[in-house]
Amino acid sequence: MTTESPPEGGAAVVDEPLTERRLGAFRIQEYALLIAVILLFVIGAVLRPDSFPTVDNIRNMLTQASVVGVIAVGMTFVIATAGIDLSVGSMLAAAGMFGGILVDPEGSTLVFILGAVFFATALGSINAIAIAYGRVVPFIATLAMFSIARGIALLLNDKLPVGLLDLNGGSFGDPAAFSLLWFGTGRILGIPISVYVFLGITIAGWLVLNRTRYGRYVVAVGGNREAARIAGVPVRRTIMSVYVLSGFLVGIAAVLLCARLGSASPVSGNLYELDAIGAVVIGGTSLAGGKARIGGTFLGVLTFALIFSLMTQLDLSTEVQQVVKGAIVLGAVLLQRPEARL
Amino acid sequence: MSLKRRLTVVMAAALLALGGAACGGDDDNDDSANNNGGATTESSGQGGSNDGPVTIVASVPPTDHGWLGAISKNAQEAADQYDDVEFRLLEAADSDSQAQQIEQVISEKPDALVVLPQDGEALTPVAQKAEAAGIPVINVDRTFSSPDAATATILGDNYQIGVSAADYIADELKCEGNVVEIQGLAGISVTEERSEGFADQLKKACPDGGVEVVAKQPGDFNPDTGLKVMENILQAQDQIDAVYTHDDDMAQGVVQAIRNSGRDDDMFLTGVGGSQDAMAQIEEGGLYRATFLYNPSMAASAVNMARLIALGEGFEELVPPEVPRQVVVPAATVTKENVADYEEYAFN
Repeated sequence: MTTESPPEGGAAVVDEPLTERRLGAFRIQEYALLIAVILLFVIGAVLRPDSFPTVDNIRNMLTQASVVGVIAVGMTFVIATAGIDLSVGSMLAAAGMFGGILVDPEGSTLVFILGAVFFATALGSINAIAIAYGRVVPFIATLAMFSIARGIALLLNDKLPVGLLDLNGGSFGDPAAFSLLWFGTGRILGIPISVYVFLGITIAGWLVLNRTRYGRYVVAVGGNREAARIAGVPVRRTIMSVYVLSGFLVGIAAVLLCARLGSASPVSGNLYELDAIGAVVIGGTSLAGGKARIGGTFLGVLTFALIFSLMTQLDLSTEVQQVVKGAIVLGAVLLQRPEARL
Repeated sequence: MSLKRRLTVVMAAALLALGGAACGGDDDNDDSANNNGGATTESSGQGGSNDGPVTIVASVPPTDHGWLGAISKNAQEAADQYDDVEFRLLEAADSDSQAQQIEQVISEKPDALVVLPQDGEALTPVAQKAEAAGIPVINVDRTFSSPDAATATILGDNYQIGVSAADYIADELKCEGNVVEIQGLAGISVTEERSEGFADQLKKACPDGGVEVVAKQPGDFNPDTGLKVMENILQAQDQIDAVYTHDDDMAQGVVQAIRNSGRDDDMFLTGVGGSQDAMAQIEEGGLYRATFLYNPSMAASAVNMARLIALGEGFEELVPPEVPRQVVVPAATVTKENVADYEEYAFN
């Protein structure tokens, strides 16, 4: 009801007009955020010319962005259906710990990866069933999972982290291909593996949302559930699928994080849900649903990574960082605001 | 509407039950029996001792961090040693529920109460209430804001930890080099004191300067935050000679960031706490050079003190034998040379 009204003032009909509306607003909004990203980069380059605009630091920022970036792709799907997933940070920790205990004291990287991805997907499926079939409000269902998954993460190894360095199979500087550390720090053609994963998933997410019928279903369900149902969209299955997808992508993010950390920690992923939701929303995906912008999410994730890198490099104190970060996020959203109203 | 709401509640409950069942099934460790989390009741042996059993209740914050986990383990183990102690450990999620929990315990009239408050200030009134009701309170680590809230206090020395770390790093660097400080959680006294002690002592140890703290950022006592923060600092700083971290758990993330960058030969790192992981790496040699004890065994000491107070006894070395009002645990420096002496006190 209070969603942004379509530019042409058309009624909320599912198919073509919706797509047009989405693509129409798409460009203006993303340019606004793109300007913010470029601006942040230029500021960094001016303030720390020797260490900020370097290839090494760009690689570092993209690697750091990859964990929340992968989660944020799933979050974009969830929010497009007018849902929310508060449990991603906790599920990340639980997935890592589950994979960790499978390979402790012995196991292979493959077992770890499959274990982590399986477990996160399973937890996501519980969210999915509760929301799609139990009709629990997504906020509450995933809030419950937020608590359950963190508890499971702590229970799995008696609150202790699990070391994964045995899976590295190589030295730290140059991990063996397909060893766990390789997924965190290994490179092909100078680009870290985790960045390939992040970019690959982002592109795949964009294609699915914008070029497939399923993608249109996701947006349609979020725009107007009743209209979607009448138009023949399998509403329940669509809603269910986005939470399973979110869990699955959390599993992949868990692998990327644990690979870099060389261990699985039950306290990892704290507040990642806020970074992921924040990136999605400043990227222009409406919390009210019916609108999804993977490209915006990507830029939103980059914005957070740039802010974090810049502020640590400047060695700002925490309190200043918090104020500046909040101000930049607010500014980035305000920058998009007038265009959204047109 | 109300039906829908009721359904929501039912589903949430079902979901919780499901989660509980799931984790029970997934937990393939056999040692779950001795670690159920939450409140555990364990009375150790009814054996005939001189004065009959004393009841001691301990109340601690949620043990989701290595150090706090070790606190509860140490307290439990200390109590298990005695036949004449009936011990109960309570975990509380936050200050409010800890206060409520203690209110409840006061009505049960235990012989002594051991409290590691979530927030010393917030729990002072309820501790005063316990004292007023004649239950001696033994305060651990985070102090109450009023002296009449506890009969005895045992705590680590966070300022001294900073001092020891500054002495060690100044000495190792011979007062020349760049230091990075990865702090704990911003805005709590533990972090501020560890940081202040370090800064103050660095000035004294190197009066002519020479050691520069080039970056000082919080890692929230969390390995994955420590990893990310250190990754960025490594980008920003070409020359780092030493890293002072505020916590052994968090330091593992910092260690990994340094290793991933391939710069582990250029610098060394120190931790705080005394975890098994840290001690193993110190013994091995290399990046992890020292840790400064902030030993969770103080919880065991607290239970021992509680027992003595409840039995009306005291430290035999004191004349007359009594339990001191305040015990400050020294912040020993653990290095490769003396790690063997401390390994038995390491926590995991």
